[in-house]
Amino acid sequence: MKKMLGLLLACSLVLGACGTNNNADTGTEGGNNAGGEGGKASKITIWAWDPNFNIKAMNIAKEVYATENPDVEVEVIENAQADIIQKLNTGLSSGTTKGLPNIVLIEDYRAQSFLQAYPDMFHPLTGSFKPEEFAEYKLGPTSSNGQNYGLPFDSGVTGLYVRTDYLEQAGYTAQDMQDITWDQYIEIGKAVKEKTGKDMLSLDPNDLGIIRVMAQSAGSWYLKEDGKTADLAGNAAVKEAFETYKKMMDANIVKIHSDWSQFVANYNSGAAASVPTGNWFTPSITAAADQAGKWAIVPLPKLTNNSASVHASNLGGSSWYVLNVDGKETAADFLGKTFGSNVDMYQKLVTDIGAIGTYKPASEGEAYKAANEFFGGQNIVQDFAKWTAEIPNVNYGMHTYAIEDILVVEMQNYLNGKDIDAVLADAQKQADSQIK
Amino acid sequence: MQRLFDRFKYNGLFVKIFIIMVVSILSVSVITTWTTINTSERVFLQTFSITNSKVVEQIKSNMDAFNYAIVLASNNMMSSGSIRGFLTEGDGDSLSRARIYYNIGQQIKRIHSGLDAYDVNVLVTGVNGRSFATTDRSVWPITDNALGDHPITVRTLAEPRKLHYQYDDASTSGNKDIAPTIVASRALLDRTENRVYGAVYFPIREREFKRFYETFTSRGNDVAVMNGEGMILSSNRSEWIGQPSPELLRVAKNVEESTLPYVEEEFMEKSQVILSTYMPSLDLYIVNVIDKEIAIGQLTDTDAILLTVMLIVAAAVIIVFIISRRLTKSLTRLVKQIATISKYEFDHEVTVGGSYETRQLAQAFNAMLGELQDYVKRLLETQKGQRNAELEALQQQINPHFLYNTLASVKFMVQQGSKEKAAETINALISLLQNSIGNVSATISLSQELVNLRNYVFINHVRYGDRIKMSYFVSPDCMGCHVPKLIIQPFIENAFFHGFNRKNEGNIYFMAAKEGDSLVCEVADNGDGFDMRDADESGLPARRTSNRQLFAGIGVRNVHDRIKLLYGEPYGITIDSAPGEGTKVKIRLPLLE
Repeated sequence: MKKMLGLLLACSLVLGACGTNNNADTGTEGGNNAGGEGGKASKITIWAWDPNFNIKAMNIAKEVYATENPDVEVEVIENAQADIIQKLNTGLSSGTTKGLPNIVLIEDYRAQSFLQAYPDMFHPLTGSFKPEEFAEYKLGPTSSNGQNYGLPFDSGVTGLYVRTDYLEQAGYTAQDMQDITWDQYIEIGKAVKEKTGKDMLSLDPNDLGIIRVMAQSAGSWYLKEDGKTADLAGNAAVKEAFETYKKMMDANIVKIHSDWSQFVANYNSGAAASVPTGNWFTPSITAAADQAGKWAIVPLPKLTNNSASVHASNLGGSSWYVLNVDGKETAADFLGKTFGSNVDMYQKLVTDIGAIGTYKPASEGEAYKAANEFFGGQNIVQDFAKWTAEIPNVNYGMHTYAIEDILVVEMQNYLNGKDIDAVLADAQKQADSQIK
Repeated sequence: MQRLFDRFKYNGLFVKIFIIMVVSILSVSVITTWTTINTSERVFLQTFSITNSKVVEQIKSNMDAFNYAIVLASNNMMSSGSIRGFLTEGDGDSLSRARIYYNIGQQIKRIHSGLDAYDVNVLVTGVNGRSFATTDRSVWPITDNALGDHPITVRTLAEPRKLHYQYDDASTSGNKDIAPTIVASRALLDRTENRVYGAVYFPIREREFKRFYETFTSRGNDVAVMNGEGMILSSNRSEWIGQPSPELLRVAKNVEESTLPYVEEEFMEKSQVILSTYMPSLDLYIVNVIDKEIAIGQLTDTDAILLTVMLIVAAAVIIVFIISRRLTKSLTRLVKQIATISKYEFDHEVTVGGSYETRQLAQAFNAMLGELQDYVKRLLETQKGQRNAELEALQQQINPHFLYNTLASVKFMVQQGSKEKAAETINALISLLQNSIGNVSATISLSQELVNLRNYVFINHVRYGDRIKMSYFVSPDCMGCHVPKLIIQPFIENAFFHGFNRKNEGNIYFMAAKEGDSLVCEVADNGDGFDMRDADESGLPARRTSNRQLFAGIGVRNVHDRIKLLYGEPYGITIDSAPGEGTKVKIRLPLLE
């Protein structure tokens, strides 16, 4: 009897031990399964870059939305733009949306490449906002097949930021800078360099933003209207932009930077006198509080020999997109109620960040009419809004950056003395073979 | 209380067996559980240390690969003349600057491509104030100005031949945009002139760096990467990151020196198993800290084990209770029965039941009891027989004095010439002797007994005169009833010789009648009587002997005992007497036809 009892006891102990092992196993499995699956309607995640601009803007939108929808948790995650593009491409091309956010910020230049490559992966926002209330030039890049996919965010409207004190030293005023051509700009630049020793502007040889700005000001682009065919050889606007670029270099009025930090540093330290760039540069200028009152913003110079060129263009600018994952309705609702319709929020964006949206009704708000003391009382928001309306609409197409990579190399060839027509013809050839 | 004690007394065996079993079960289960848990902990720790040593090795090789990529990149950087030129030459014009920035961009991009597997930026600074950074310093957004006197730069330039791994975050550098970052940095050294012309930085976000080991970590199984000064550069425990931990450094050095696979230490107020490996080329320690409690807690769910063991013990105790109860219950019952039997019921057998042993015991006991009863019965028989024989022997003896006195009286009568009276006396004596000696049967009819009595009384009257009168009142229907021989005579004799010591004359009455199914004979006198207080507890006078009796030795008590022996409890003799009132003797006998 005792033996049997003993056996029974031993068996039970073994069984008991097995039981607990199982428990432990399931415990760890449970732990591994946690996380991931961010697509529940009660929580939406958002990816964006630039903590001082896009992230701040999104956090304002998050607060606004939270007052009406306290049960929705909004998580804003900062990633470098390159990372976002890489992760999106990896995720979307593999067809799995696991680990992807609900809302993602995409630069307008790249938007079409995503929308056309992964048409099913984006959630149409048609109906979530009124497209006619947004700047027209933003609608082309954000739409595909007659559907609106992106909710336009910041305006990339350009202006020319100038140091009035340097100009004065060179014998010019901001008034002299109104509605000038790039040739005139170079002349003034030479005078400034001569008088002050400061370069007129700072450029990154690996980033041809200024070429894009010039091209769009003339209603032209690297690609033809169809968005797929490279338009380089014989593109008058691009050709003149290249020539202007070389003229600047030859005039020795260009400071070189290799990254954003140096770019900003060159202006904050007073090493360069003007910035032809998008309005999103305003916070970087105003960051140097000691330069208050020394800056003005004038219309962008236009191409000297191109009649189509206007004093308005666009650089950068991005829009919000909703991915076709769980929680997309909540995400669309979030965008529609914030960036899609909230005039007050846009006032806050202007006051707090200096971010100018492309939402037309917002320009009626107080913040859009306020004078900016840093820029000597200039009403910069109004000015930008005015120029926004003038921006020629172009189709950025799918291959803006692919062509730019080619052009960066060809630009060096051009600077080294290669003929401009040959440069553009070679670029056209390379582009044709690469993007087809 | 007494009942409880009794219960315990009868259940003593059960209580003992039960307690021993319970104690055994408890100690076996406690020891087994303890040993099992202990052994599994030890085995677990050993296995854990082996696997985690491999894990640490794996982390080490991951980080070695990373380090090698960094070393290669920095070597390429240093061997590039154009980079050196970029970082040392003075400012040229816009065009030449544009060219060199472009070229440097291409070169650094190429060098950076060797680091594509890691989310690393490249940042170079030169003595001429130029700098070049990839992807807009997205990993480590530090300005050139801030970089100049940053502690990382200071340390890098102080030891220019070494590749440094250092930590930076918002609080260290005072730039709120800087997330926890690990910066590998190296001074760019012109070896021919032994001159530092710049520095290269490879910042990697701590959360990216974490990937080298993060997959190996779990709750209670933490990894920390610590530099030679005890600063924790990276850890899956976010609260450790960027914290100096001299304690952990000391433990890590211990492990390194002791060549033990692991040490068990008190760290962060917990018992931890710590594995560590040192990478001299990086001057980094990889420390694996395992919270013993959590790690082992995952292995053995002590609560569940305890619960299981408790359930089993409870079940075992119940089983033991039932079984030992059954085992001992029959025994207890047997013991109880035996105990009462020896006290009260000698002729009752015990119930046979229970286990084999108990049944055998009960049977043996019953057999023994049977034999004992048999033996006692036989003993009783023998004693009865012996007494009967004794009585009979006594009954048949005639007191020689009585004979002598009677014969002497007859001689006087003959001498005095009263032949008639002498002949009568002789006749009475003959008849008396004939009945007592000659008659062999044990009982005689009452009429015969009456004859005897009359003869006896006649002889007495002859000898002592007839001052004591004798009267007989016998119901006619009783005449045929049998009575034991000579059973009444002794009482009459008593009345004659002891009843009238003070009174000179009186009467003796003999009465006999049926009463229900018994015959009652009564001998009553109106003589002296005696105080009943002199009688013994049975109400019979104490035994007295007198040689003046006809039959020696037959006392009242003997008669009483004999009747009881022959006929049973309801029969016997009762005596009622009071001083001066006389004595009444009642003999109750069954009706014997």
